[in-house]
Amino acid sequence: MLKIENISKRFGNQSVKAVDGISFEVKKGEIFGFVGPNGAGKTTTIKMIVNLLKPDSGKIVINGIDNQVNILDAKKQFSYVPDNPELFEKIKGIEYIKFMADVYGVPVAERNNLTEKYLNLFEIKDAINDPISSYSHGMKQKLALIGALIHKPELFILDEPMVGLDPKAAFELKKIMRSHCDQGKSVFFSTHVLDVAEKICDRIAIIKKGKILEVGTMDEIRTKAGSQESLENIFLELTE
Amino acid sequence: MKEVMRLIKLFLNNSWGISQLLYNRKHNKKAYKRQLMPIIIVPIALILTYGMYLTFMSSLYIGLKTINQSSVYLSIGYVFITIMILVFGFMYIFSEFYFSKSMDELMTLPIKPRKIIVSKFISILVIQYFFVGIAFVPMLIIFGVGEGLGLGYAILSLLVFLTIPVFPLAIETLVIMLIMKSFALKGKKDILNIVYMFLIIGVIFGVQFFMRGQLGSIGADNFQDALTNLLTNEQGLLMIIIQYIPLSILVAWSLNQITLLSIIWIGCFILISLMGSGLMVFIGEKIYFSSLINAKNSKKGKKLSAQAQKKELGKMSHQAMSVFKMDMRLLLRTPVYFFNNLSVIIIVPIYIVFSLSFMQLTLTDLSDLNGFYKEMPMLINFIFIAFFAFFGGTATTTATTFSREGKGVWLTRIIPVSAKDQIIGRTASALIIQSLGMIFTLICVFFYLKLTVSSIMIIVFIGLLGISPILLFGLFIDMRRPLLDWDNPQKAVKNNMNALITLFVGMAYEGISIGISGTLGYFVNPFLGYGVYCLISVTATIILYKVVNNNLEKRLLEF
Repeated sequence: MLKIENISKRFGNQSVKAVDGISFEVKKGEIFGFVGPNGAGKTTTIKMIVNLLKPDSGKIVINGIDNQVNILDAKKQFSYVPDNPELFEKIKGIEYIKFMADVYGVPVAERNNLTEKYLNLFEIKDAINDPISSYSHGMKQKLALIGALIHKPELFILDEPMVGLDPKAAFELKKIMRSHCDQGKSVFFSTHVLDVAEKICDRIAIIKKGKILEVGTMDEIRTKAGSQESLENIFLELTE
Repeated sequence: MKEVMRLIKLFLNNSWGISQLLYNRKHNKKAYKRQLMPIIIVPIALILTYGMYLTFMSSLYIGLKTINQSSVYLSIGYVFITIMILVFGFMYIFSEFYFSKSMDELMTLPIKPRKIIVSKFISILVIQYFFVGIAFVPMLIIFGVGEGLGLGYAILSLLVFLTIPVFPLAIETLVIMLIMKSFALKGKKDILNIVYMFLIIGVIFGVQFFMRGQLGSIGADNFQDALTNLLTNEQGLLMIIIQYIPLSILVAWSLNQITLLSIIWIGCFILISLMGSGLMVFIGEKIYFSSLINAKNSKKGKKLSAQAQKKELGKMSHQAMSVFKMDMRLLLRTPVYFFNNLSVIIIVPIYIVFSLSFMQLTLTDLSDLNGFYKEMPMLINFIFIAFFAFFGGTATTTATTFSREGKGVWLTRIIPVSAKDQIIGRTASALIIQSLGMIFTLICVFFYLKLTVSSIMIIVFIGLLGISPILLFGLFIDMRRPLLDWDNPQKAVKNNMNALITLFVGMAYEGISIGISGTLGYFVNPFLGYGVYCLISVTATIILYKVVNNNLEKRLLEF
């Protein structure tokens, strides 16, 4: 579903690369967690996948489409929710959802059903006719999630999705991620919450200073680390 | 005091992006050059206009000196500067006190509101000194040199310069705080902004029409005579304004003759200014935070029923239509975007109606005008097309289209909308604004000149065709170098060089294309003129469309 081949990124004149020749693959039907300390290169990698940053070198293939060559088709394959979704403040929630449904060509019946379902699930139905400027951080995140889910993307990409969500919404999101993968689609997300990564991810990549330290299932990572400890302990050992 | 100084430094740094500039100088040369460019280009571009301003101010002084009225020169200057501060200050006050995101953090810190108000006020004052320096210091120099005044005048002038923006800015800040405190305005700061902007335009029009009325009614043959009449007429509004603004008289008394009394007058001037700002701080301390919370509240919409929700989600729209609707919503709902892009639809027709009404055209004049139109409709049509084409050159709707989205542009960059649909959606909003401007203007003109329906259609159609290359050029420029890193929507349009570049290029392009086609039309054949203008417009439109269409998808990767 997602193939990252040796991508690198350096910002401005800085001597150190933010992302340094990383490669990994996200398979169909799996939840892939991307963990690492602050400034490790998680968001930079995600931004390169979703076309918000251009890699200096390397290749990103989404569902068989090179995102630097066939840009428009690649964009149709994924949806993305940033860690801090900056949405147009003057727009109403419902207008945002309609915009997303329109640009992804979601049929009317489907958009009605999915909107109703997710509005109830994330409990923002009452605020949907309000301007986004009146939303809290968590509400904006919920709206961005609905906008991203409305077209049932092949690859669902999230940057720190649990930050700002209330416990119920976080719980519902985890369920959505699993059910999304059960339909043969994939989820790729970054997180600091190692407990979440350990519990819901099929595979995990640990990144530090722009380089991948480990990739694999929890069992594979434990075996390589020679320890049966939690992801938190392994992560701390690897990133120290 | 230290805390206030630190806050002032912080606010100035934030407004001017000083830390960002220094960082970019070391780490991001491209961004550094982009940041420096407006600082270099804008002053160069305005040299000619500033030269004209200086010439006007010198002429005004000489004119007043000739009629022994030079004593009102500085009073006029004070009134002028006060109006300028009130006009420019409004947006700065709003930006600093009510739009600034830093307030969310500052409100939670253990800093007294008084210190925040004083620091914010001083940081706005520093910016105002820049404008006062440009506009008022030359007047002080012209007057000083003209009257042969010495060192005493120079010192007192410096005090006047430092004091002059304090009072108007303090009173304006206080009024804004009181208005924002009003419960009736809860969540309506956008409306307040738009109303204020139109009020300012109304005042500018009013002054212009008043001056024209005064100068016109006295039948003066030249500017000097007209000015003499205007200023020696004791019942004239200008004299009344000056008489009723005591601070303008204090400025004049302080500097017209340098005596011991001058020190007393200037002391009074400083004292009144300090009292004004003290009053603002005193009242502001009690109401600022609550007015800020009022301003931050957004107006909530009605709850949607299941049926209404389905209706809102509506039918499937084409991608170009979705882009267009989103662009229009942002334009209509963001005051500064509305004012910069849509107000022309209202302002230009009103201006034309007022101008024509002040010309006091007789029935014979109107009959002659309509007769001339019947004789040479093609010429009149072309004049209108040329007017609208130049007018379109000033449109910045497409030149700031991506910039206006700011940090929210990530959405535009990730959605799978083709370059073609982006171009159609974004130019459509600009074309609709322009065509509405044209239609409203032509309706107003119709009261004086009975244009035929075919003329109106030709003017609107060819006018829009002529504007299209400029709109696409605007899109091209904003696609190349969008200004996305802003904390206040005002910066997206006011600090955006793309608008200025599009303005200059648009004017030059229209000058050349209208010049060539107009000459051919007038001297060879009118149809040839029209044909050449259409050909140039269509060719330029196609070329620019292809350039944007071929590059937009790739450019969106690099914003």
